[in-house]
Amino acid sequence: MWWFTIESLFSRAFSKALLGIVGLSSFFEDLREAWSSYPYKEIIRRARKGVDAVYPQGRFWPALMAVKGAAVVEQPRRFATLDDILLLPPAFTPLRLKKMSEILREPNYTDVDLGTEFGGFRASMPLMVASMGSVQVANSVSLEIAKAAGRLGVPMGVGENVATMWGYSKRIRSNQPCFKERVMTYLEATEGGVGGIVIQQSVEDAYNELWNLVYSDPDVEPYIEKGAVGFEVKIGQGAKPGLGGEAMVPLKEAERLRDKYHIPEVSEMEGGGYVTRHSAPGTYTPDILRGMVRMMRNNYPRCRLWIKLGPFRDLPQVLRILLEERVDAVWIDGKEGGTGMSPLASMKHLGLPLLAALCSIVEFLANRESGTSLLAAGRLYDGGHLVKCLCLGLDGMVVGRPMVISAWAAGARGVENYVRTVEVEAKMLISALGKYSVKELGPEDLGCLDQELAERLRIRYVYG
Amino acid sequence: MHIEVESRLQKLSEMLAQSWRLARSPRMRAILRVQQEACDAMRAYLKSEHFFELLPPIIGPVTDPGIRGAKQVTIDYYGREYKIMSSAILYKQAAVSGLGRIFFMSPNIRLEPLDSALTGRHLTEFVQLDLEIANATYYDAMKVAENLLCTAIDTVRDVCAKELEMLGRSLPSFKPPFRKMTYDETVESLARHGVKLRYGVEVPWEAEHFLSKLMGEPFFIIDYPRGARGFYDREDDERPGILRDFDLLYPEGYGEAASGAEREYRHEKVLARMRESGEDPRKYEWYLKMLKEGITPSAGFGIGIERLTRYLCGLETVVEARLFPKVAGIYSP
Repeated sequence: MWWFTIESLFSRAFSKALLGIVGLSSFFEDLREAWSSYPYKEIIRRARKGVDAVYPQGRFWPALMAVKGAAVVEQPRRFATLDDILLLPPAFTPLRLKKMSEILREPNYTDVDLGTEFGGFRASMPLMVASMGSVQVANSVSLEIAKAAGRLGVPMGVGENVATMWGYSKRIRSNQPCFKERVMTYLEATEGGVGGIVIQQSVEDAYNELWNLVYSDPDVEPYIEKGAVGFEVKIGQGAKPGLGGEAMVPLKEAERLRDKYHIPEVSEMEGGGYVTRHSAPGTYTPDILRGMVRMMRNNYPRCRLWIKLGPFRDLPQVLRILLEERVDAVWIDGKEGGTGMSPLASMKHLGLPLLAALCSIVEFLANRESGTSLLAAGRLYDGGHLVKCLCLGLDGMVVGRPMVISAWAAGARGVENYVRTVEVEAKMLISALGKYSVKELGPEDLGCLDQELAERLRIRYVYG
Repeated sequence: MHIEVESRLQKLSEMLAQSWRLARSPRMRAILRVQQEACDAMRAYLKSEHFFELLPPIIGPVTDPGIRGAKQVTIDYYGREYKIMSSAILYKQAAVSGLGRIFFMSPNIRLEPLDSALTGRHLTEFVQLDLEIANATYYDAMKVAENLLCTAIDTVRDVCAKELEMLGRSLPSFKPPFRKMTYDETVESLARHGVKLRYGVEVPWEAEHFLSKLMGEPFFIIDYPRGARGFYDREDDERPGILRDFDLLYPEGYGEAASGAEREYRHEKVLARMRESGEDPRKYEWYLKMLKEGITPSAGFGIGIERLTRYLCGLETVVEARLFPKVAGIYSP
């Protein structure tokens, strides 16, 4: 029987090796897939190099990169994005003449004024840091982001579950900033009343009355009085409309959180001492939404009122109510939006891409009488995206992932660098359109590569 | 302006830091005498109307969330979270089913926003006479409120003449029924006087003060729009969006006296309304179970004792209307 033992030994070793190779290759495949699924490289370059990253310089062959020309945008995609829209500068630029008469010299791109107001806040530029929640990848670098955003005068959101997961004013885990650190780091970094912070409350945070806590917090009070604090209701998220926040939490945290979250029973738990924590998406009807807005106005009259919307099919109905109730801002997160943690199936199958969502509310974008600011999010990350949003009638663009990646790449400095690149790009593009302030932009500055989409968005077809 | 606020806050803090001294002043003695007579009179009136006085619950898994931005106090109860009553409304609904007519002298705590410190109307710790009537409409509840208030005023005027004289206060006599203005009429009337109010928004303190100054006698504001009140105020089935509720206001600028309503008792309606106020229904498990089992419809209100005392004695602020007052943001004994 000796041959049998050797053979079985051999085959066991062989199959183990085989499994090892499969495991290793799938590890690299995961890595490759993750890397190629988002422009990490570009954002990291912005974070590290700052404004120099606005130009396509390669590390070794700058000259070679310089001849790349316009072929820089082709990517296989499932749906149209803002990259299917181009900015179309005119030769005749009466507004440039107007600017010239103001400054008495030929205007340059640096003469573009990006300063603006949205959602009840003054902002140095039409950019907003998305309300990122408690997921560790975002929470770990949240103070760097807060510091940079505050200094830059860019409004920022604090997402749901942070206080419930990581503590309100005391850290529950020594390596994870708590809720109030994030808020105060931002507020203390702001200068001259530029910027503002909005605070989301999930169903589970409501259990702890997060908003009430903030509203009567003596440290936040001076900023509430100045009008620099807003509260945000999250109705869905781009990558997982209809689902609540999901996160992996260490097994030892699970029992502490069981009162408030849905957490599977121990028998279902698996996977390296972590367990999935589900939060509720929240239930809405037109009545509930209207009532909620009114309740917030009554309970927190000194706070701005923000709404985050996932890419739902009934966006126009939802938006109509919100505009009637005159909330301060609504931002719409397209299905390409980032995710702390979303099921694959939701990212693949749920919700409208951003451009489709914008198509559905084009009437609202065309007719901006109300005092409500509209913003968009979902894989938007450069100055071009920002300018296109503004031309479409939005008041600004919301970024999440670029902030996290920049912070991981180069800390608060990286976040500042990244934002500067967006700022410089936006100024260049706006000046190219012969315009010098955010308010002057309009749909006439846009052209679409697709005829049907152009009609739907009420902009010109580039080949038309 | 800001400096003035700072200095007023500073003065208030200094006074409250030594609040034990207030107990020794003859003025406080007079105020407390008025308070006691008013409470006795209201108790006697309610007893004659066959109300049960119950001992008030102080803590529980949940409490009243409809407290206009104020914060509840959470305590650790053997590893679980408990709340100190911001009002006993949920327990009133529970108790009224069996007992018919009930009231509590209920001590409540609400950590009010910091900007409430100088309104003259907000304490973080206060007592309210909180009552509930089974199978009643909000009009029935208003009738009780009118009689209760008149009883208190008449008794104090009769019994505490010496104290009122010392406090420099003269109390007129009112005859119910009091005037009832709907929320819509209130908004219109304020607009006529140049105070603009967005529909659906609570009447702000300043506007309430203004209205209250305009009126020569106590009055009701009724039929608030949904979104302005807690989930337990019942919506009118015939007039969607309108709540069957009321506030009773004192004249002379003293503002809100009592707040009440018919109660929503259908659990599915309550669930939707809970969502409107951003509440997590999971927290209200016992209450929702009770509603699902079925309870008696009811109406009721709560009348704040310190505010009543302030009105009866003509005090500048509610801080003077009790011993050891607690004001938002001020640390005092």
